[in-house]
Amino acid sequence: MASGTSVNGTSIGNGASMNGHHGFSIERLQGLVQRGRVHSSIYTDPAIFELEMTQIFYRSWVYIGHASEVAAPGDFRLRTIGRQPVILVRGNDGVVRVLMNRCRHRGAVVCETESGREKVFRCWFHGWTYDNTGKLLSVTAPEGYGEDFSVEEHSLTPAPRVEMYRDFVFASLSPQGPALVDYLARATSMIDLLVDASPHRQIDVSAGCHKTVYNGNWKLVGMDGYHPNFVHASVIAMWQRKADSGMGATHRSDPFDGKAATYVRDLGNGHAMLDLRQHRLDHYPDYAKFLASTPGGKEYMEAMFARDDEERARTLLAIAGDPHVGVYPNMQLIHNQIRIINPISPTQTEVIMFPVLLKGVSPEINALRLRQHESFYGPASSGSPDDGEIFERVQRGMLAQVEPWIDISRGLSREFVDSDGSIVANVTDEVPQRAQMRQWLALMTGENSSSAAAA
Amino acid sequence: MALDNLELLKAVEQFLYSEAEYMDSHQYDRWFELWDEQALYWVPCNADEADPNSNVALIYENRDKIEDRLFRLKGRHAHAQNPRSRLMRVVSNVRIAQADAGKVVVTSQFVLGEVRLDRQTVWIGRSQHTLLQTANGFKIREKKVLLLNNDSPMGNLTFLI
Ligand code: FES
Ligand SMILES: [Fe+2]
Repeated sequence: MASGTSVNGTSIGNGASMNGHHGFSIERLQGLVQRGRVHSSIYTDPAIFELEMTQIFYRSWVYIGHASEVAAPGDFRLRTIGRQPVILVRGNDGVVRVLMNRCRHRGAVVCETESGREKVFRCWFHGWTYDNTGKLLSVTAPEGYGEDFSVEEHSLTPAPRVEMYRDFVFASLSPQGPALVDYLARATSMIDLLVDASPHRQIDVSAGCHKTVYNGNWKLVGMDGYHPNFVHASVIAMWQRKADSGMGATHRSDPFDGKAATYVRDLGNGHAMLDLRQHRLDHYPDYAKFLASTPGGKEYMEAMFARDDEERARTLLAIAGDPHVGVYPNMQLIHNQIRIINPISPTQTEVIMFPVLLKGVSPEINALRLRQHESFYGPASSGSPDDGEIFERVQRGMLAQVEPWIDISRGLSREFVDSDGSIVANVTDEVPQRAQMRQWLALMTGENSSSAAAA
Repeated sequence: MALDNLELLKAVEQFLYSEAEYMDSHQYDRWFELWDEQALYWVPCNADEADPNSNVALIYENRDKIEDRLFRLKGRHAHAQNPRSRLMRVVSNVRIAQADAGKVVVTSQFVLGEVRLDRQTVWIGRSQHTLLQTANGFKIREKKVLLLNNDSPMGNLTFLI
């Protein structure tokens, strides 16, 4: 196909004339995502990656950070939306903003420190200063600008849309689109499972982060209940040896052993989870014993049962703030962490892992959460480096393209629609992969992605 | 420096070189033998002085967890170490920070070359060992490793540092 020419006359995306649509017509994209299989070029092709930037990361809601990371006026954190640098900052007016980190003069970043507290951001190219709400305070040597130069019109550019759900800050670079709660839809109650695990219904994302990187495509970070017995065989062996070792203390028994009451769930809009709730409830008495042996554990349980009805309290304690959910495209809440997936290139991805502390529990419980996290996650841990290693093997394997298809058909014959409209199957089934690819295709083709899972 | 201090320094250096050799050559059991019963192995993340009670670390392990780590590495399913990293490190700038009866605090620096899957990575850091003098030689009570890049994105750090 001639580059820049669409087969069916439909060009992809707004502003396509600026960035080009990389030669991808809707029909061609649809051909890459078929029933039960996807074409591996979506993981390897630089043109697809460019289109993902414009169609997914620069249009959809993207998770930026948690309001507790910018607790006080002036607090800021540097983040990215796709490849675009932004500042998550709480202004002196108390409002949390997402500002493009780009001087309105000639484009330098105005903030180069990863985090801190500032009243003013100063661009050191020519000295323009902005306050922490983004407002341009002054230009240097202003006499050089004529009367038609407006200081007011040169404030730092805000992300077109910023919304929060329970202090989770999301931004969209598209001025139009669904409201955040409508986009999150069924995923909101999974975010609640984490936040409500705190007796104060407040989490604290101030414990630093693990920054990891692997040489593979960002879409390889899935939500996969088929891989643990193989990729994490070494860790499952550790749990079998010592029941309280690392994350094993929370699972109590292997959730992937084929007997556990564990499922996958397609929540719609690309959000998907490993639904471990029933399994954790089945093992709650054992977990409660473990929790009670931790200083402050008994008080934590008492506080939860005093606050909520028995069933809810039990579920929240058993789940331990781990909804095991992926919110499309770049956030996951897994075990004790919030995770951000940052695509760097078609073949490189950063995964930033923020352990979550619960407000209202003992320091010992929060320290335990950190140690559990470190056991499985981070560059020196027992879990995520093996995931990264396998993702790199996939990326290398996909270079063999005589047979280019990636099979994601597992469970197609046994999945079913639950009463709430979500699609459910066995925990090892590829329901999340299909959910993500359906949303990928909807966003890439610019088709309305309001489709519920069952649609 | 008094002569007996020089002797102590020599002995400490030889200990650190042996430790480096065991780590470089993945001799996990011999490395584990160097540790005291009340071991603490600490590699901070994000900042050198981050309080481990309220901040995530790369590694913050007691003896039991160190043993877990080695159990995993000795098994056949630690994929991130299959193939193993080929390692060679230079330990230098060894200084005794504190020497009390039976206890020595020693700081050192290392440059570590790692080759795995045709990729060469250089790791740089500073270590602080708290060593106990026992009848069986030095034992590591505490080892803190300050990686120069502990606030940067990292790949695979599943070998011993
Ligand atoms: S680029 Fe910022 S002041 Fe000139
Ligand atoms: Fe995994």
